[in-house]
Order: sequence, then structure tokens, then C-alpha cells
Amino acid sequence: MPQQAPLPFLLLTGASSGIGRDIAIALSRSYSVILNGRDSVRLEETQQRCDVVGDHRVWCHDLMDVASLDQALPDYLSQQQICVDSFVHCAALLAVLPLRSTTLSQTQGIMNVNFLAAMEITRLLMRKNVNQRQLRSIVFISSVASQFGAKGFSAYSASKAALDALMRSLAVELAPEVRVNSILPGNVRTPMTQSMFDDPDTANRLVRDYPLGTGLPADIANAVEFLVSDKARWITGQQLVVDGGRTANISG
Amino acid sequence: MSPCNPLDLSGRHFLVTGAASGIGRASATLMHRLGARLSLVDCDAGSLTNLCDEFSGSDRVRSYPFDLRDNGSIDELVRGAVAAGGLLHGVVHCAGIQSVMPVRTLQQDNWREIFAVNTEAGLALAKCMASKKIYAGEHGSVIFISSVMALAGSAGAVAYSMSKAALHGMTRSLALEFAPKRLRVNCIAPGFVRTPMLARTAQLWDEEQTNAVEALHPLGFGNPEDVANAVAFLAADTGRWITGSIMVVDGGYLAR
Repeated sequence: MPQQAPLPFLLLTGASSGIGRDIAIALSRSYSVILNGRDSVRLEETQQRCDVVGDHRVWCHDLMDVASLDQALPDYLSQQQICVDSFVHCAALLAVLPLRSTTLSQTQGIMNVNFLAAMEITRLLMRKNVNQRQLRSIVFISSVASQFGAKGFSAYSASKAALDALMRSLAVELAPEVRVNSILPGNVRTPMTQSMFDDPDTANRLVRDYPLGTGLPADIANAVEFLVSDKARWITGQQLVVDGGRTANISG
Repeated sequence: MSPCNPLDLSGRHFLVTGAASGIGRASATLMHRLGARLSLVDCDAGSLTNLCDEFSGSDRVRSYPFDLRDNGSIDELVRGAVAAGGLLHGVVHCAGIQSVMPVRTLQQDNWREIFAVNTEAGLALAKCMASKKIYAGEHGSVIFISSVMALAGSAGAVAYSMSKAALHGMTRSLALEFAPKRLRVNCIAPGFVRTPMLARTAQLWDEEQTNAVEALHPLGFGNPEDVANAVAFLAADTGRWITGSIMVVDGGYLAR
């Protein structure tokens, strides 16, 4: 067997299901993926489905607990003796609730997972003693909800808009060593969005509003694979909308 | 080596305008490598021949010297390309003209010429794709190349930026109209890319000005291949759920 260079490591949050799981499977052909999530059993299921060329690992850590990342991530990387080349933040909480039913602690939880964890992980990966200046590319999974309003989406869309603003500032601050972009998916059918498809009225509306129909997690995974790779070497600070035409559609 | 390339374009026929130089040339070269059949259009017949020589007689490439200012004849051009190369899966409209002119010196002829090539030719090409005699009916993708000037201002670029901003409006409405045909419509907005067009503009600058323009891009000036990679991504099935999108490829120019 010819000796092959080891694949670079890519840290992926939200890897246990939905879009994150498909991203893991797609990227496992060209990266060793560090699969992060809360549920070790489901993370191992994802790991089973990854391509065997890489040295994939499971890192179980609940991003709701954003304060302990400062300890947990450096510890994990030094214990595994690895550095991270690329970071994809896909973890997200979605609770569709009218404003009157929201609570501060729930909103804080959404901000922790969707936004603060992305900033904190990036900060840690930029520390020389943690990651040896190895980071090259970051992709945040945002949402078209960061650009438009929807009933019951206040905390979620605020968290995604914060993520997009973080992305733009990081792109400028970390250039030219690190590229930072975000992908804005429309409503893709995943366990997180299943409750919307369960309601027949909402399901009909979703079919009507998406000119190319409902998206699949693989459609988002393709976009991540492109943006994280060197094919996108001159793309930074950008929001790529992948939504089957939804946001071009004012007749919906 | 790889059994499955998600960017594979084999069996698909694309018409590329502005194909003899810059972004068009890089896109044509990459799409040819990905297996596409190509109809290449450019007003510079010499450079077009030179490009076809690079494909060393590939039977997947045909060239059409054509000046897109003559946009009344685009229908005929496209019908000819289909007769020779088969039904089309997509169009990549890279052809564009730019002239740096303060609005005080800008004449109607100047802006009409810029609009004719950059905008109206794009619309005429997309309109052809509405016909079953032109469009193959599946895996369809129309890609316009606009510019960051469509999204941000620049003194002296009035005509150019309005011609490119119009492409964004066209992209969104065409995307909705063509979605039921499984024909996607998207636009790529590049920053300053090292092309013959940039070289002509940069003649007006001294070294200090050139460096200042490059410094507006956190990743520096781009190469045509950087935009071609995005073209291939949107043309192939990797973009199958992307339509009506404006994809900015600008080395961070607009993030600042």
C-alpha cells in the first residue's frame, strides 16, 4: 500500500442527526471528522456511516454548556494530540414559540448553542497553544431566517443573524489565514424541522413556497463541501443561500 | 480515481459567452475537464480559435465568434448551437464590458452598449431556454456573472453597476418562472479578478492605486479559476436546490 498523507481534521458540531449527519458523511471522504454532539450513541451511528479513509472521532459535549468549552475543547485536542484544519458549526436549537411563551433561559439556551458556541470554538481554535495556527476554513450553518421574519422565530432568527454578523467580522479579522462563510438553508426536512411537516397546513404551505420543492440535507452538505475546500479559496465573508428559490419568491 | 464526482457534467451541453478570456475562459476550461459539451461564444475570433486549440480538437467543443451587441440575432446563434451540439442544459453568461466614466462624460450610446452586452444579451439567452426546442428539459442551470459593483457603489462605474444589478433582478424572477421546468437560475458576483478586463482598467492606476484596490480584498485579487469553481458548483448537481441565489466570490471585499 502506498503511504498516503493523513487527512486533515475537521470539527463538526451537530453531527448526530439531520443536516449535520449528512455533512459528516459527505466530508468524511476528504477529512478526518471530529463528530460533536450531545448523544454519544447517535454520534457513533454517524461515525459508522462515515467513509473508512478517515480517522473519524466522536467528541461528546453539550454546547448548551458554552462556558466549559474553554476547558473541554483544549483538553480534548491535547488528549487526542490533533489540530483542527476546518470548523463547521451546524449545531442548532429551534423552538417555534410565540414571544409571550418564550422564557429568558430558553432564549439563552438558543443563543448558547446557535451563536456563542461558534464564537467560543473559533476563539479557542485560534489560540496558538490549543491549535498551532492550523485553522484554515470555517463554515457556519445559518438560516434564511437570519434575513426574514417569521412568527415564532424571534430567538432562532436573532441567533442566526448574530452568527452571520460574527461570520463577516471574523472573515475580515482572520484573513488571509482563515476563510469564514455561512450557508443559509431554507427549510430542509430533518428531525429538527419534522414538527413543521407534521402539521398539514404548514406542510402544504412549505410545498407551495419552495419553487424547487423540499430540500434534502445532502443539498446543504454539497454546499459545505464546496465552501470549506480550496475550491472556494477566494470566498470569505459570504452568505450562500441554499433554499430552492424560497427567498426569491415574494408570491409565496 | 474517484468513482463518483459530484461536479460531473458529462453528457451536458452548455453555452458559455465571453469564453475566450478571463472568467469565461477559466469556466470553459474547467467545464470541459468535467466532461461538458461546450458551445463557446466570444467577439474575439482570434482568442476563441486559440482557446479551441488548447482543447486540441476535442469533439465536445464548438466555437461561435459573435458580438453580443447584436442581441437581436442571439436567437439564431442559440438555434445554431443546438443544431450542431444538441439541446442545451445551461448557459453561462460571462461576457461583459466595462468602461470607467464619470457620469458627466457618460453618453447614451455608452450605457446602451454596456447594457446590451451585460444585461440584455443575458436575458435573450435565458429567454431561449424557455423553449423545448432549445432546453434539454433536465439538469438545467443558467448562470449570470455580475459583479460586486451590483451590490456596492464605485465612482465612475454607474453604467456598469446598473447593468450588473439588473442581472440580480432577472436572476430572482427568472428563477421562479423556470423552477417548474427544473431549470435553475443563479448569479455569481465576483470582486476584482486578474483578467484582461481588470488589466485594462488598471492601466488608469499607478502602483499605489492598484495596491489600494487590492487591499480592499482581505484575500487580495482573485484568479479567474476562483470564479470558475463557483460556476462548476452551480452548474452541476451540487447546486440542485439552489436557485435565485446571488453567490458572492470576492475575497472578502463586501464583508468589510
